[in-house]
Amino acid sequence: MADTVTTSRVPAVTGPAGTGAETRTEALAVTVTETETETAAAAGRRRWTGSWPALLARRTLALVLLAAAWEVLPRTGLVDPVFVPPLSQVLAAWYDLLLSGQLAEHFEASLIRSLGGFGLAIVVAIPLGLAIGWYRPVADFLSPVLELFRNTSAVALLPVFILILGLGEPSKIVFVFYACSWPILLNTISGVKTVEPLLVKSARSMGLGPLRLFQKVILPAAVPTVFTGVRLAGATSILVLLFAEMVGAKAGLGYLVQDAQFNFRIPDMYAGIITISALGLLFNLLLLRVERRFSTWRTV
Amino acid sequence: MTVNVAEYNPSGYADAPVKISLRDVGKTFPIRGSDRTFTALDGVGLDVRAGEFLTLVGPSGCGKSTLLDLIAGLTAPTTGRIVIDGVPVDGPGPDRGVVFQQYALFPWRTALANVAFGLEARAVPKGERTERARHYLDLVGLSGFEQRYPHELSGGMRQRVAIARSLACDPEVLLMDEPFAALDAQTRESLQEELLLIWQKTGKTVVFITHGIDEAVYLGERVAVMTSRPGRIKHVLDIGFDSRDGDLRADRRFGEYRHHVWTLLRDEVAAAQEQERARG
Ligand SMILES: Nc1ncnc2c1ncn2[C@@H]1O[C@H](COP(=O)(O)OP(=O)(O)OP(=O)(O)O)[C@@H](O)[C@H]1O
Ligand SMILES: [Mg+2]
Repeated sequence: MADTVTTSRVPAVTGPAGTGAETRTEALAVTVTETETETAAAAGRRRWTGSWPALLARRTLALVLLAAAWEVLPRTGLVDPVFVPPLSQVLAAWYDLLLSGQLAEHFEASLIRSLGGFGLAIVVAIPLGLAIGWYRPVADFLSPVLELFRNTSAVALLPVFILILGLGEPSKIVFVFYACSWPILLNTISGVKTVEPLLVKSARSMGLGPLRLFQKVILPAAVPTVFTGVRLAGATSILVLLFAEMVGAKAGLGYLVQDAQFNFRIPDMYAGIITISALGLLFNLLLLRVERRFSTWRTV
Repeated sequence: MTVNVAEYNPSGYADAPVKISLRDVGKTFPIRGSDRTFTALDGVGLDVRAGEFLTLVGPSGCGKSTLLDLIAGLTAPTTGRIVIDGVPVDGPGPDRGVVFQQYALFPWRTALANVAFGLEARAVPKGERTERARHYLDLVGLSGFEQRYPHELSGGMRQRVAIARSLACDPEVLLMDEPFAALDAQTRESLQEELLLIWQKTGKTVVFITHGIDEAVYLGERVAVMTSRPGRIKHVLDIGFDSRDGDLRADRRFGEYRHHVWTLLRDEVAAAQEQERARG
């Protein structure tokens, strides 16, 4: 078995065949290693045919392993099941939360806040970034202030937002908006500034005025960089929102996790965390989709 | 300082009015991190007549591309005057089309959309735009590649898209910076033919930079040879074949012209290499 693995995966290996797999067997629980080698060998064989089940197997392998470890380790007592309950228990708790409607309530609260702040950041930061990147006077005027705020952590400002806007929704949305604005703003500025000068020259030689130049060259050239910022902001929006919800909220996934931990409903806590991961994943997937639509021309 | 004006030329389009006139044109660039300047062009004088095909040769780094930028109006000369049709150049204009040395295609646009770009700026209706873009892509031998993005094309194909793009705008003056450098010999020859045909048919004024002496002699009615940096016009050679029919390259005089340009260039290239060595 071990031989197949090494030869099929790394044909150019210099050491004696099987060494790698054997060391791993020592380091990890036996069950895990066996599952891994089996599937890896299968994936290695199927790679040449390139069928989609093989691809799916390779893609999900690590996830399956993680799930298995989560289930097995607490049950065998290697990990304290009080602090890390087996996955099945967590999923059961998740299902209960779903049925009771609590999950939907928290999910919705978080989604509205993060989308609100994130959307606001897109609407404000992209035009602002374009203006700063394109018009020197705007850049000169705003740069010092931006530099100052940019180096002030959003987290440090949360008390200020709460003080001014109260504990309700506005303070959280503004907080998310603030944190999301930076990646979008900075990437947009650099996207505009790094447009290939030759393209600008070429467009100018065809008689484009400043407005047309901006619309037909600067904007499309900057799109990929802007999107990188938007995607970063998507991740940021969830990250900072959870923080805000843990500090002061009566609903939301961050609140759910924090509250569950306080009241020692450990499976609920993990159920909340899983939901947060799923939300983050969903966000990123969605943004990647949109990004790909806008930049089919890129080589990658 | 000597003003080096190309002599009145008794052959070819001698009677045509002057289209582009350069008088004592100089261009200096600031040197980064110092207050001295770098002189790229100094005292360039040249007249290009309407409908003329002028080729420009010179050692690498002598300022050929810089000169083309100046004529295109993309940069302003530090000294001297550039006049087109009697009007001083103060920016780019639709009367001039440029083919850049490094293609300068828009990577987010397909070949077709790249060719149509200049027409969009000119507010040509969409249907006509597409039709004309297709026509010029076909002309440079790229029909079937309309929907390809630049990164999906070879270097030579990209260069041809760039040529099609500048032709599509139908400018009176074509400024071409080594447009055929990236092409294989066969494609180059067929595009040279094509360019000559277009030129004869449309009467455009062409300023064509090249490193190829053969190409310069073959295409040009006159060949302007530049000195090493700072670039000036060293000599303008009239190319006078009795007829452009038949194989010019087999003509006895082709060899003579070729040799003449080569001799003019040799010293300049040596000087340029000496400069590079002294600096490097
Ligand atoms: N924007 C610029 N700033 C500073 N120096 C420049 C700039 N553009 C060109 N130069 C310098 O001016 C000189 C002439 O450059 P140019 O590109 O016109 O040469 P060229 O004759 O076209 O060369 P090649 O045949 O290699 O294309 C070079 O020495 C170059 O370093
Ligand atoms: Mg050049």
